[in-house]
Amino acid sequence: MHGWTGYFLRVDLTAKTWQKESFTEEFAHKWVGGRGFAVKILYDEVKPGIDPLGPENKFVVALGPISGIPSPNTGKAVVAAISPLTGFYGDGNLGTRVAEQLRKAGYDALIVEGRAERPTLLSIEDDKVEFLPADEVWGQGTYACNDWIYAKYGKGVGVLNIGQGGESMARYAVVRSLEGRAGGRPGIGAVMGSKRLKAVVVKGTKPIPQADPEAMKILGSGDLRKVGQIDKQSGWSIQSTTGVLPFCNEVAGLPVRNFRKTHHPDAWKVDGERCNNARVATYGCPTCTMRCGITIHDDEGRESELDYENVALLGPNLEIFGLPQVGALNYLCDDYGLDTMSAGCTLSFYADAIDHGAASGDFRFGDAKRAKELLGLAARREGPIGNLLADGSLRMARAFGHGSEAYAMQVKGLEVAAYNCKFIPGQALSFGVAPIGAHHREAWIITFEIKHSTRESYGPEKAAKVIELQRIRGGLFEFIVACRFPWIENGWPLENYPKYFNTVTGLNWGLDDMWRVADRIYAMIKLHYLRQFPDADRRGDYPPAIWFDPTNADTEGPITGKVLEMDKYDGMLQHYYDQRGYDRRGIPTKATLLSLGLAEEAAAAEKFAALT
Amino acid sequence: MNILVKIIGPLIYTVGFSEKQMDVPAGMTADELASLLGIPKERSRIMTRNGAAVAPDARLAEGDKVAVSPIYSGG
Repeated sequence: MHGWTGYFLRVDLTAKTWQKESFTEEFAHKWVGGRGFAVKILYDEVKPGIDPLGPENKFVVALGPISGIPSPNTGKAVVAAISPLTGFYGDGNLGTRVAEQLRKAGYDALIVEGRAERPTLLSIEDDKVEFLPADEVWGQGTYACNDWIYAKYGKGVGVLNIGQGGESMARYAVVRSLEGRAGGRPGIGAVMGSKRLKAVVVKGTKPIPQADPEAMKILGSGDLRKVGQIDKQSGWSIQSTTGVLPFCNEVAGLPVRNFRKTHHPDAWKVDGERCNNARVATYGCPTCTMRCGITIHDDEGRESELDYENVALLGPNLEIFGLPQVGALNYLCDDYGLDTMSAGCTLSFYADAIDHGAASGDFRFGDAKRAKELLGLAARREGPIGNLLADGSLRMARAFGHGSEAYAMQVKGLEVAAYNCKFIPGQALSFGVAPIGAHHREAWIITFEIKHSTRESYGPEKAAKVIELQRIRGGLFEFIVACRFPWIENGWPLENYPKYFNTVTGLNWGLDDMWRVADRIYAMIKLHYLRQFPDADRRGDYPPAIWFDPTNADTEGPITGKVLEMDKYDGMLQHYYDQRGYDRRGIPTKATLLSLGLAEEAAAAEKFAALT
Repeated sequence: MNILVKIIGPLIYTVGFSEKQMDVPAGMTADELASLLGIPKERSRIMTRNGAAVAPDARLAEGDKVAVSPIYSGG
């Protein structure tokens, strides 16, 4: 078997034991890596109904066959667990040297079980695994923890760590790495915290097995250079993702005031041009030649690395338009190890609930000072409001009542990313059917809808576009584990990715083979969902109710008087189910599961709920 | 006729400004405006007028707000 090391590292924090486990070629070909490995491991090994914050949950770090090999842009890892935010499978990816180091240590995935007695630093160096005390950094933020590890091991090691948010098990705590990288929005950092796992450090010295290493060296390194040259020509990384903000503002797709408004005259104050003008440094992931991490000084002079989602949801969505203040909120989320998107949506929900009489409190839109304090309370679960904020917007809404769930901006418990779909039906569908909750990674079709003037349409072409993008974005890039930006932002051809895959594995796969793996993974995430929620129905795929509320329509601007229409949305959702081979609940049919080679997994699901 | 032109993302550095009130010949099309701004034809872009997509051959009108953006595909 080439391309894969052929081994997982399984670590038990309770017993302080570890073992190296082999997997078969058949397994590798069926699940490939990254999200594919994680979804299968967690399905087979974690029983439905367990407490995601208990020792029965497992924390998985998974890589793909091109991870760690110089090529565009493979310095990323998938982190996954059963989510404490949504209750079922959750994952995310982040740029980290762990991608290279874990593969060089001889593993394609790390599976962490149990719960340590004391705060622990898990150290992996090839075949040596140590459980080291981390008491001295327990209670500290991710930056201090990172520095502590670098001081011990040097800067070349791979690091994953958590901040106070993960330690206190805030349900949207993330895993962090390098200076500004974060992943695992659905609380994967909280799962690390529940295991008292403060950090993982990895160093590897072995070669990564490849079918044709010389050919890959020429192909991968050459293509990395080409991607860098293309980026220089396009200029994408001058503003990186922050350039999206003025576009969303222009087309009435920006979240403002907890998504109640879609644009704002002051949005320019935090747009891509302002971010670039304020830049003091640029950071990126390993093996990247189009680095996107625009870093500014926040209002206390600290370096804060921005991207579009962070700025939009911690800025306009809270009606905060001072870039240094937005930078400070972003810095705090990063240091506490909280997801910036869920934090922004949860804070905006709280302000909105106070505005609408569903909650009492002293937080108002535009109050950056109080927002900072509230992030600290949430990260430490301090006091009743800190505890509520740490649970995310859906649980808060259920605690507040008064119909506030309608404007808790989430799907399946995961807060929506920074695209206001009040009148963008296809993007609303993207959020609705994103399998782990409202993540923007799975599909992003705003530009498609605007460019082709199909904003009014709820037709089957929208469902088809969502599926096409899911296969690429949530599928291919998540199971081979590479960054999607070279392709989506600089037009790097998709056909190159099977080339890399084939050169390292010796196989002869095309994109159609990749789409089949992607469909299998999506079906598996739905089985996770069904197993956890046997009474699940299509309402779980509905976006927030406020987007359908005519009283919430814009009163001026490009979409005056318009909101989504539920009967039409439901029809578009059915198109998606029909094209996917899912039933009316949004669950893959038995025939679909069998066609994807999931007979065994279907039988396991049937112990909990009926399939059609 | 007078129109407001908004340039988004890295196109700002091609065109040389991010927002400007411009006096352009009456009946100018969206494509002609892009040429006037010095945006190469081969550069993929999306143009909107008052928040909605505008076709390359659509004629602009007095008071329009025209935005020119690269094709973003998500953060």
